Amino acid sequence: MSMTNYWNQQGDRDAELNALFRAYRAACPEKEPSANFMPEVWRRIEERQHSQFLLGRWARALVTAAAVLSLGMAAYLYIPHAHGTVFSFESYVEAIAAGHAVDSAEFVDPVVDEL
Amino acid sequence: MLVDFELIKRAQTGESAAFNEVVLAYRKRTLGTIARLISRPEDVEDVAQEVFLRLYFSLDQLRTAEVFEPWLYRLTVNAAYDYLRKHRRRMESRMSDLSEQQVVLADAVAGGRVDHEVRQQRQVRETVDSLLNAVSEADRILLTLKEVEGLSLKELEKIYRVNENALKVRLFRARQRVLKALGPGGKESRGEGKAKAEI
Repeated sequence: MSMTNYWNQQGDRDAELNALFRAYRAACPEKEPSANFMPEVWRRIEERQHSQFLLGRWARALVTAAAVLSLGMAAYLYIPHAHGTVFSFESYVEAIAAGHAVDSAEFVDPVVDEL
Repeated sequence: MLVDFELIKRAQTGESAAFNEVVLAYRKRTLGTIARLISRPEDVEDVAQEVFLRLYFSLDQLRTAEVFEPWLYRLTVNAAYDYLRKHRRRMESRMSDLSEQQVVLADAVAGGRVDHEVRQQRQVRETVDSLLNAVSEADRILLTLKEVEGLSLKELEKIYRVNENALKVRLFRARQRVLKALGPGGKESRGEGKAKAEI
């Protein structure tokens, strides 16, 4: 097939497709909205607004709870506790020495042979 | 524009009455576009309501009222995409899938109670629907907007946010795919080309 024939045929098919689309547009009936159209739109809008409102409230509550918890923990850590605290102001070496009492001098003194 | 810019600006500020007027002005056109994009009459209203729902919650993002119509088309196209993706189109409708109106029409056609013009229109719709079913959702939507809705390339540029040349390439390719589905001799590949002969 020569190029001229190919383009002529292509042009014919394009025109045919255009005619088909035009006929399709004419054949599609106009769609009339039902009486329930607008109420249903507003119902959906309100439903979405309500769920967004609930989500927002839940998120705010969560943020507040997290802030209160953080403040509580900060206060707990800041205030020194007299008893039962896991934190200590001893130095590392003092803490090691206190934990290894068996290493104290009275046990490691040289043995004196009394002959 | 079916409404003036002032009304859209009022709707943007959250005025319910203004939004109501906008929906009333555009609902028929939107229903028509969706009907041609998804070709399932029973779901057209549902998709249109989804479009207006999205419009309501995204109206504040609209920068100028002048681009409202392309914006609405864009929302319509996106909702149609989502629908088509969810409901993968079947190539052959079964009787159980047809709406009541379609069943009545099918009966009437079979019984020869409708005139020649109605029969012809029905055949055209079936032919083009099956042709558009043979290509992707993207091709279907683009071709429907350009060839059936009659939107210009400038309008499509605003909707798709791509330049004219890119659109021309996409349109050309989409048309080629439809022509391929139409078959070599112009007859539709699945043998449903009888409507075309009557145009």
